[in-house]
Amino acid sequence: MKNKFLYILVLFCLITVSCEIDEQVDPNAPSLNSVAENATPQELNLLVNGILASMRTGYGEYVTGPGSIAREMYRFDADPRNTEDLLGKDGVGLDNNTFYLTSPYNSRYRVIKTANVLLDALNNTTSVTEAEKEGYRGFARTIQGLMYTQVLNMLGSNGIRFDVSDPEILGPFLSEAEGWQRIQVLFDQAADHLNGASFAFTLNDGWSGFSDPAGFLQVNRALAARALARAGLYEAVEGTLSSSFYDLNGNLTTGPKMVFSLSSGDIQNPVFRVPNENGNQLVVHNRFIEDAISGDSRLGKFSARAIPTSLDSLNGTHQTALYPSNVSPIDIIRNEELIFIYAEAQMNLNNAGNFVTAMNVIRQANGLDDYSGGTSMEEMIDEYLFQRGYSFWGEAKLMFDLRTYGRLNDANLPIDRPGDIIHTQFPIPLAENQ
Amino acid sequence: MKVMKRNWLIALVWLSAMGMVSAQYDARGKVTDSSGEPLISVTVIVKGTAIGVSTDINGDYSIGVPTDQATLEFSYIGYKVQELTVTSDSPVNNVTMAEDFTELEEVVVTGLATGVKRSNLANTVASVSSKELTGVTTQQTVDGALYGKMTGVNIVSSNGAPGGGIAMRLRGISSLSGNNQPLWIIDGVYMSNAEIPSGSRFASGANSGSEEGASNRIADLNPNDIESIEVLKGAAAAAIYGTRANAGVVIVTTKKGQSGKSKISLDQDIGFNTIIKKVGRRQYTSQDVFDRFGAEEQARFDAAQAAGRIFDYEDEIYGETGGILDTRLSVTGGNDKTSFFLGGGRRDENGIIKNTGFERNSIRLNVNHKISDKVKIGINSNYVNSSASRSFTGNENEGGLSYGYTLAFTRDWNDLFPDENGVYPNNPTYAGNPIFVRDQARNEETNNRFITGLNLDITLMQKSNQVLRWASSGGADFFLNETFVYVPELHQSQVGNDNGFIGVGRNKFSNRNFQSFLVHDLYASNGIRFTTQAGMSYLKFDRDFTFAQTTQLNPGQTNLSQGGTQETSQTIETEEDFGIIVQEEINWNDRIIANLGVRFDKSSLNGDPNKMYAFPRASLALNLNNFDFWSSDMFDQFKLRVAYGQTGSSAEFGSLFTSFGTVNIDGSAGLSVNGLQGKADLEPERSSELEFGTDISLLDNKLGFEITYYIRNVENLIYNRSLPTSSGFSNEIRQDLELQNTGLEVGIRYNPIATSNLNWETGVNFWFNRSTVEDLGVPSFVPPGTAFGLGLGSFFIDQGSSITALWGNGEAGPEIIGETEPDFQLGWFNQINFAKDFDFNFLLHWKQGGDVLNLSRLLTNIGGTTPQELDDLEGFIEDASYIRLREVGLRYKLKLNSNIIDGIRLGVSGRNLLTITNYSSYDPETSTKGGTGLSTGIEVTPFPTSKQLYFHVGFDF
Repeated sequence: MKNKFLYILVLFCLITVSCEIDEQVDPNAPSLNSVAENATPQELNLLVNGILASMRTGYGEYVTGPGSIAREMYRFDADPRNTEDLLGKDGVGLDNNTFYLTSPYNSRYRVIKTANVLLDALNNTTSVTEAEKEGYRGFARTIQGLMYTQVLNMLGSNGIRFDVSDPEILGPFLSEAEGWQRIQVLFDQAADHLNGASFAFTLNDGWSGFSDPAGFLQVNRALAARALARAGLYEAVEGTLSSSFYDLNGNLTTGPKMVFSLSSGDIQNPVFRVPNENGNQLVVHNRFIEDAISGDSRLGKFSARAIPTSLDSLNGTHQTALYPSNVSPIDIIRNEELIFIYAEAQMNLNNAGNFVTAMNVIRQANGLDDYSGGTSMEEMIDEYLFQRGYSFWGEAKLMFDLRTYGRLNDANLPIDRPGDIIHTQFPIPLAENQ
Repeated sequence: MKVMKRNWLIALVWLSAMGMVSAQYDARGKVTDSSGEPLISVTVIVKGTAIGVSTDINGDYSIGVPTDQATLEFSYIGYKVQELTVTSDSPVNNVTMAEDFTELEEVVVTGLATGVKRSNLANTVASVSSKELTGVTTQQTVDGALYGKMTGVNIVSSNGAPGGGIAMRLRGISSLSGNNQPLWIIDGVYMSNAEIPSGSRFASGANSGSEEGASNRIADLNPNDIESIEVLKGAAAAAIYGTRANAGVVIVTTKKGQSGKSKISLDQDIGFNTIIKKVGRRQYTSQDVFDRFGAEEQARFDAAQAAGRIFDYEDEIYGETGGILDTRLSVTGGNDKTSFFLGGGRRDENGIIKNTGFERNSIRLNVNHKISDKVKIGINSNYVNSSASRSFTGNENEGGLSYGYTLAFTRDWNDLFPDENGVYPNNPTYAGNPIFVRDQARNEETNNRFITGLNLDITLMQKSNQVLRWASSGGADFFLNETFVYVPELHQSQVGNDNGFIGVGRNKFSNRNFQSFLVHDLYASNGIRFTTQAGMSYLKFDRDFTFAQTTQLNPGQTNLSQGGTQETSQTIETEEDFGIIVQEEINWNDRIIANLGVRFDKSSLNGDPNKMYAFPRASLALNLNNFDFWSSDMFDQFKLRVAYGQTGSSAEFGSLFTSFGTVNIDGSAGLSVNGLQGKADLEPERSSELEFGTDISLLDNKLGFEITYYIRNVENLIYNRSLPTSSGFSNEIRQDLELQNTGLEVGIRYNPIATSNLNWETGVNFWFNRSTVEDLGVPSFVPPGTAFGLGLGSFFIDQGSSITALWGNGEAGPEIIGETEPDFQLGWFNQINFAKDFDFNFLLHWKQGGDVLNLSRLLTNIGGTTPQELDDLEGFIEDASYIRLREVGLRYKLKLNSNIIDGIRLGVSGRNLLTITNYSSYDPETSTKGGTGLSTGIEVTPFPTSKQLYFHVGFDF
């Protein structure tokens, strides 16, 4: 008996001293630090894919928020704030801590961060050549430029936080003008990287025609031209466009795309809606049906509902038919937009002839007669915005266009319910003010 | 360490060399209760010494008395301690023990290996006996059965579905990020109370697993197996449990066998679930429809009206009467060496929504065996098979599944019933047809669970004035939780998108723990008793969540392989803790009882897994009535007490890591920055509690008061905060928050009438808690994941403000719009025994104050289905005060003089039969975000709570 207790006591003491707990590593995912040094080409390419995949996250809200504000559409679904906050029901402002802002905002910056992780990893690895590193850099900075553009579009004169590479020391909010200038610098840096670079990664099918450094550079220039136009730097637009895939006589649909699939882990097109589905629908604002010029082929973007729909005292007869299926790709930028960018620059530079030429390309492509209106600035802006509305319905453009020309207000947009107001920009997210 | 080891060895050799001091004579006798029945296993000790025996199967005792005159002390659970003076001239004495109403003599488990008499306790430890737990009515789950029965305990049912979904909170909020649920310990085994989501969010679009309305796994515990529950509410009482005890500890002791004649009880209940209250639907006339929805809708309404096809969809969905069958069998018996309890139970319950329900089959065997007078061993084993069908409720986004959400947008003139070919029409005003979902979609779970505990108690040394015991226990809680979600490809929101959804979860939980203690009791000659204990505790938890989903289903198929898109995910979690405990208790003649202790803990959840953190405790109780100067006979007890202690809580698993998320595009994998920025150097958060109070008992123990005030500070509180998301991260983990909870708890017990024909025992529990953010190292912020933004109303962490307040956007920034913490709560318990064999019991529960953000009504307002009676309500914050008849029961016991049947018990009882409230929705107790974190007080279309009516019949053999 005595011996038994002795053993137990010894055992007890042994357990007491020998219980050493192992250092912990995440069993569920690779650590962010795992690519900080000596990243392999496989790891770098995973980051490239991560950037391409996650830039699609939050894109649905990037379309439906500004689309609702610009009275392109209503989003009829489970969340009441789509028909309350976004349309300013009873004068309510946009909340600075709600999904219509935070979802696109957070996801844009998450892409920027992943690109920064890629850029840092490149500085601490020798697994790829210098030319290949330049390829990764050109890719990463171009996509960052695109993400910053989208953020600044939403926030407008609230400005933008640009220096975010160190999460502990974030840079200040810059003014809108400074923001556009920094975006331009970023696109130009990326272009410098791409000159003479080589790609050690393969871009997906959405980039066909643009998947080598030269092709990608054309996309970079197209995105840069878009940002120049938004910044109002119209003189510089044409030169930049000339290095892009801009082609006044080319196919309007040419351009890189975000792709979707039903593959495991992939996501579906977030702007697609099933025809005649109730309770989760993008309903076309009736003004797009009422104002349409008959014969406009772009009306194919809308389909008449089997039964009209109503929610929260809003009514609609048509729904989105912008994308035929839940795996249809979404354009990142296409030749049609480059023609508009050209037209916009020419209009602002008062080159009415060039403006009309460009608009007629758009008109003819959509089965409309040539432009026969006047060429005063006001008339040109009317025409430009009208065509923009139909060419880019559901692509998050019109709100920012209207704002540029001072028309994002109730003098130019319908008020569907008494008390509704029209927002002009999104607030700075609450988390940024903390 | 080595030095200490050798010392122990020397001590052991020395101690075992000592024999027992020989007795002068044996005192003998029989112990019975007031009706003359022998009491078995009554503890008999010679007062002031360590000499003790227990009564045998006939109630007989025989004890060696070392001195000529001595006082024997007889103690037995549920009975008053009896003292008896014996001398060598009159060694034979019979003792009759009286039942104890005040429970002053009850022994409360306070250490991991020791207990203290309630009358000597320096903290409040709330206890609930088997009788209080299940004696009035039949309980669905153990946690749900506790509400109103003890002070300081707030319980919120987040989901009214059968099978639970209950958040239990002791003395307020102790954590923001998760662990607000107390630690559950069943016979020494750490039992998992996980809330395991089924993955229905991937079909419904709910924001997180916490919005799925999952059950919590205490539901597996059969309430009828429980002998008693003790709740250590704060750090002062729970310090001995160290880093797992910040939210308190619930200690469950299951029934033990009783030696003697084998007793068999068979109980059968038949009951019914019905909805507590219907909210109602808006009643439309043709003109109303036109005004609100336009001419085309009016035409649809008129057509439906003409065809008599206007429905009450609330009644269609929530109007079922769910049958309940609850069967229990228990067998106990044994001899003076071995006793056993065998419990079997089956509960089969249907909910108020068709195709919902809960089933639990449980079998338990507890065996206790004395190998010798010095070695005792016990084993508790429990197997549970439980399953639940919970269907779809709560928040969602465009899934068209959640009933309440769907009903808010479903107009009563929509015809949603299947045609003669069984084809369900689309819902013209929402993304799903609730009749189709009810009939065809599934959200189910099954659990297979083993809980086994082993305990060993060895008296290493016993002398007349000291005892050395080695007590150790260990056990395992293992279960496999399997979930199944099926949304047919024909479901409206699936068509053209995912085209059907199957989600299958296999979630494996394995908790193992072991603890070992040496306990030394020393009775010094001056009436001071020293109890010293030292020991260790080790635990390891492993969890593995595997989830597979398939979409693009082949028609009519429910197999994971029958679909076009398949996806799996896995989350592995491991936790390992180790602690060393030392404690000293000094008791001077039951007059002054002082306690000092410290626990050192380390955990794999801390940044440095091998750093020890100390959690001290100290307490003092003064039983003034036991002092010589106390001359008043009025008081049976007058105790002043003060206690201080610290506990901790480590971060949730994963908080240390900053990891990539895995994404996919067009079949190619990618890595992307994830939302969470971990903190690699986390320390446990620490709760320090000071509580003081008084226990007073008077009128021959017929009236008792227990009053406690506590101040609990939680420092280094671990929380998630939204980062400026421009950093690329959405949340970071921080520790610079300090929270204070203060509260008052008053318990009153009274036995105003005690005659043989009528006995009335009544009790009132009153309590409130206030939580304030004392210190915050960052500017005010909205805690992520707890609500739906300040636009609708949200929690908001602000220094100096209540942490449980609801805030909204005001003119000058966020402002308080409500408070979820009740002003106070009150439980009133009554046990009336009349005409000897009848028991009438009821429990009234009053919650005063505590607001709820009723977002269900926001939805019905938008959908145009809010009943007209609620049109006057402004805003969505509502006062959720209520008075509820939580339990009521009438029982009759018929004793039979038969050789086969000893007695028959009959009864009728109910739960939640009556609720008085101004709250406009189904139940003022609600939480759309489940049971964790800052979760209460927000309603989004929950599973409506039901009331239950039961008929009982029981046989004793």
